[in-house]
Amino acid sequence: MNILLIDNDDSFTRNLEHLLAASVPGATVEVTPYARLKDADLEARDLLVISPGPGAPSEYLGYDRVFSAEKPILGVCLGMQIVNERFGGLTGRLHGCVHGKTDTLFMDGAEHVVARYHSLHVTEPGAGLDVLAANRDGIVMCMGSRTQRVIGCQFHPESFLSRDGGWFIDFALDYLGLR
Amino acid sequence: MTSLSTISVSASRKRFDRFAGELARTQGADMLLSTDGFPAQTESLVGVEPVAELIFTDKTTPDNAKAFCFGTPGPTFGFISYDFGMLLRGVGSAKKRGGPLGHLRKYAATIKFDNGAARIQARSASLARDLAAALERTPDADSAPAMPAFPETPPTASLDRAGYEAGVRETLERILSGHTYQLNLSTRFSRRCPGLDPLALLLTLRRRHPAPFYAWFSSGPRRILSTSPERFLRVSDGQILSQPIKGTARLEGDRTVAENLLKSSDKESAELSMIVDLIRNDISANSEYGSVRVENHKSVFAVDNLLQMYSDVRGTLRADRDCLDLFFDAFPGGSITGCPKKRSMEIIEELEPHTRNVYCGAMAVIRDRRNMDSSIAIRTAIFDVETEFLDFFAGSGIVVDSDPAKEYLETLAKAEKFLSLEKT
Repeated sequence: MNILLIDNDDSFTRNLEHLLAASVPGATVEVTPYARLKDADLEARDLLVISPGPGAPSEYLGYDRVFSAEKPILGVCLGMQIVNERFGGLTGRLHGCVHGKTDTLFMDGAEHVVARYHSLHVTEPGAGLDVLAANRDGIVMCMGSRTQRVIGCQFHPESFLSRDGGWFIDFALDYLGLR
Repeated sequence: MTSLSTISVSASRKRFDRFAGELARTQGADMLLSTDGFPAQTESLVGVEPVAELIFTDKTTPDNAKAFCFGTPGPTFGFISYDFGMLLRGVGSAKKRGGPLGHLRKYAATIKFDNGAARIQARSASLARDLAAALERTPDADSAPAMPAFPETPPTASLDRAGYEAGVRETLERILSGHTYQLNLSTRFSRRCPGLDPLALLLTLRRRHPAPFYAWFSSGPRRILSTSPERFLRVSDGQILSQPIKGTARLEGDRTVAENLLKSSDKESAELSMIVDLIRNDISANSEYGSVRVENHKSVFAVDNLLQMYSDVRGTLRADRDCLDLFFDAFPGGSITGCPKKRSMEIIEELEPHTRNVYCGAMAVIRDRRNMDSSIAIRTAIFDVETEFLDFFAGSGIVVDSDPAKEYLETLAKAEKFLSLEKT
């Protein structure tokens, strides 16, 4: 599988690269900075991944060609919020923001300990996106659309605090019809 | 390529330390002095008679550093400034810089010390023999360096209490708006110290406040006095180890109780976890897939009357990369920038009125392509022998539940060994 990982100048992108390489046997993972996204070859890719990063989705206006490429998309943290806003959803400040802490989610028939790093959150899901998981406070933790082949998670599967981030990559590949 | 003459001499730590201090005093040697019993303990190194140097400017590239370090045999020692890290990460600054962006040296002879053995490597057999003989003649006893002259004026701070607390509050606002998760804010103290003997100051501090990465380095009129407890990156035959420190508590009362309080604090744990994830990221760019792991998470050690929490982050250097690829891709260290690194550095540049220069850069010993060790240059001062100003710096990591007043007190605690000279 040929994966392009778009780095929004985040400091966890390489962790995500290593998680993808470990979770998708035989995958090649190329990392490209957001600043060079306009020159990136999207055609040959099986999966486009939007990394976490600082700031809000409104600061990242260069994703048009990613959403027009008709490729499956996985967004993590800011990446999920970017997907959500593309579908008309909204983002706002999270009361009591959470950084470097774990949460327990019930998803895909099991409990999962996952890491959270975010000051912002999805306040209104975009049209056609299904909320696939929320935490006990109702904060959206995973959302996507099977038909549009997009999925995102607010938590960080690549963090060492996530007990087994690989399960989510498996889940996302199934959801996007890539396995 | 020149080959080096090597002589090994057994010596106690006391004898070696005294010898190193005398070489610094009489021959202008540079040195990295470790101390036993710390998780970041390393090999001590003394460099005698510089034969080549690389002074970093804004035109210097990592490839220039590689050519300098790997082009001739023998270890390289020196510093790489935080300001050079700003260039690497594309963070601009209009502030006037206070010295070179880095300074590395090669020497006619180096002496490495670890585990009761000194290994002298020299470009001539006679120099190696002379140094071995001088080491053997050195008394096996502590030297008693002259007490540093006491400063006559109190220090001024680039961010005083009000300024620092305002910086913390602004950082909290940036955290809430999603631009940073954690940010290390620092202040610079400057004090005119006429007649100060900076080497005596460093050696006195080392006896009173031992730490694993004491360093002494001369760069033009500037003397760098680094008393860091923190390892940035070690590479041993391609095995990578980083030991980020985050989470600080005063060492007072019952140590076990204080240690448990530190480890059970959600705030301090989150601070460390964020930086551990960042370090994993920064070494991953040059590590084999599947090799990056975290060990001994939330371990604690004591230094400078403080308890400090740290973790071991390990990886295996890719076969097609060298230790300077790793170093420059990961530089500056995440524990003194914050996370995500680039945006946090941009905010630091906005909020701090000073340049950090050597502070928050690194002192590094580069042995070959797959062996090096380096500190994070915290608890670090610069003495200018021409102006007689001693500048020293301290900072703290700001997270969403930081209290501005407590963060200021933490910076004072870290600066205490330089602030409270008059009391020692």
